[in-house]
Amino acid sequence: MDDLDLIRDLGRGLEHPPPASLGRQRNRLLDATRRRRRGPGRWTLLGVVAAVTAAAILVPAVIFHGRDAAPVATRTTAPAGGTPLNVLFLGSDERNDGYPPRSDTMMLVHVPADRQRVHAVSIPRDSLVRIPACTDRGGKAYPARVGMINSVYPVGGVRCVIKTVESLTSVRIDRVVVIDFAGFRGMVDALGGVPITLPRSVADQKSGLKLSAGKHRLNGTQALAYVRARHGLGDGSDLSRIKRQQQFIESLARVARARMTGNPVQFAKFLTVMATSVETIPRMSLGELRALAGSFGKGGSIELDTVPVRPSRRDPNRLEWDPPKAERMFATFRTP
Amino acid sequence: MTAPPTAQDSDASLIEGSLADPESFAALFDRYSAMLYRYVSRRLGPEAAEDVVGETFLVAFSKRHRYDLAQRDARPWLFGIATKLVARHHRTEATRYRALRRSPVDGPVEGPADRVAADVTASATRPALAEALSGLARRDRDVLLLVAWGDLAYEEVARALGIPVGTVRSRLNRARRKVRAALGDTDPTREEA
Repeated sequence: MDDLDLIRDLGRGLEHPPPASLGRQRNRLLDATRRRRRGPGRWTLLGVVAAVTAAAILVPAVIFHGRDAAPVATRTTAPAGGTPLNVLFLGSDERNDGYPPRSDTMMLVHVPADRQRVHAVSIPRDSLVRIPACTDRGGKAYPARVGMINSVYPVGGVRCVIKTVESLTSVRIDRVVVIDFAGFRGMVDALGGVPITLPRSVADQKSGLKLSAGKHRLNGTQALAYVRARHGLGDGSDLSRIKRQQQFIESLARVARARMTGNPVQFAKFLTVMATSVETIPRMSLGELRALAGSFGKGGSIELDTVPVRPSRRDPNRLEWDPPKAERMFATFRTP
Repeated sequence: MTAPPTAQDSDASLIEGSLADPESFAALFDRYSAMLYRYVSRRLGPEAAEDVVGETFLVAFSKRHRYDLAQRDARPWLFGIATKLVARHHRTEATRYRALRRSPVDGPVEGPADRVAADVTASATRPALAEALSGLARRDRDVLLLVAWGDLAYEEVARALGIPVGTVRSRLNRARRKVRAALGDTDPTREEA
């Protein structure tokens, strides 16, 4: 045996067989391959003010354009440039089946004073959280409890949602924007559809979504099924759905911006549909909205995140927030 | 350890395909993760090995755009990435060899006489070998172990480490010289080497 043989022999003695847990590393790799690249290039590509700001600005701007024929309080400058703004978006599930609407999509958006880096954080609807006592608009009082975050809206309405999210994040919420399903469908159709790319074909019986792999331009009904589906896409979790919703919003915003400059007629239609399907609380005056929209100028980027969560200790099918990480994520929301 | 791909797609075409379809990169994991795991587990032990193998493929994935598609066999590339990651665990590796140097040697296994004789030789030399390995310069050890444990040819080691083949030879010679010197007192077969 020469020295190399001896070393080989030593090596064989030191070797371990690959364990089954190596599969975890494979999943890690798969996660990485599915993650979209988040380089600055990607976001500058999105251009000026993308998804959420489009919603945050355009949505209310339009509502008031539609509803308040005469611009009132044009001299108000409340949320204009120089003032940070926190907006809570609620995607509400108006099912017209006798049940109260639920808030299946929640997103907290921070627009900083300089309007440069908009930060949007999705709140998983399966979050098991401490819900503070609150009183709804009708004066009915609800005691404090622990429950799913999406259970707040149906019983306590927007007031209780604000109170809950504020107590969880210590972030002051300036505006709430509520979008319902019908409105969402109409918005997509008014834009002439929104393109998405599917890594593999999808057949989700529950939502009625059936699409082949590759590029598609989704109409309103398909888009709604796509952002709501939990089955047949991703890993079936609420978190993977949130990711999908964020991607969709991004694509929608891109289309909206393209229409705004390239097809004003279609864009006007989009705005009209928005005006009837979105509700802002408290309502903003047209002057305030104009000032707000104008304050964005041309620059800026947007960052999309999700509240850091882990499986709940009380119920493994629910999520609980990771307090230190969530605290860090929302820290920027409290500073100008 | 693992034969290079033959009938299946070459690694290069697999990597090329993953540029458009990122998820298909997992096929490279399926092909080589076990081989890399065995190699790294020899150097760092089972826990660190799992992590290093996972990291290796993450790094490989993020660098796949720069892969030289003329190289059909991706093993040298993967071994090169793994070697860099192993270097981050140099303390783990040193501890591992030190423990080997001190721990009592396993007795010879049952088997044909010549096999037992070889085992006896191997067992007897273990502490000295471990001592020698921990005493090598990192770059010499990387070359020696890619050859002895990774089964790479000199050209492949050169590719893995991004050095000329001549450098591979000189580092290997230096490493082997030191190992032989360390074995001097214990290895009865030294003269044959």
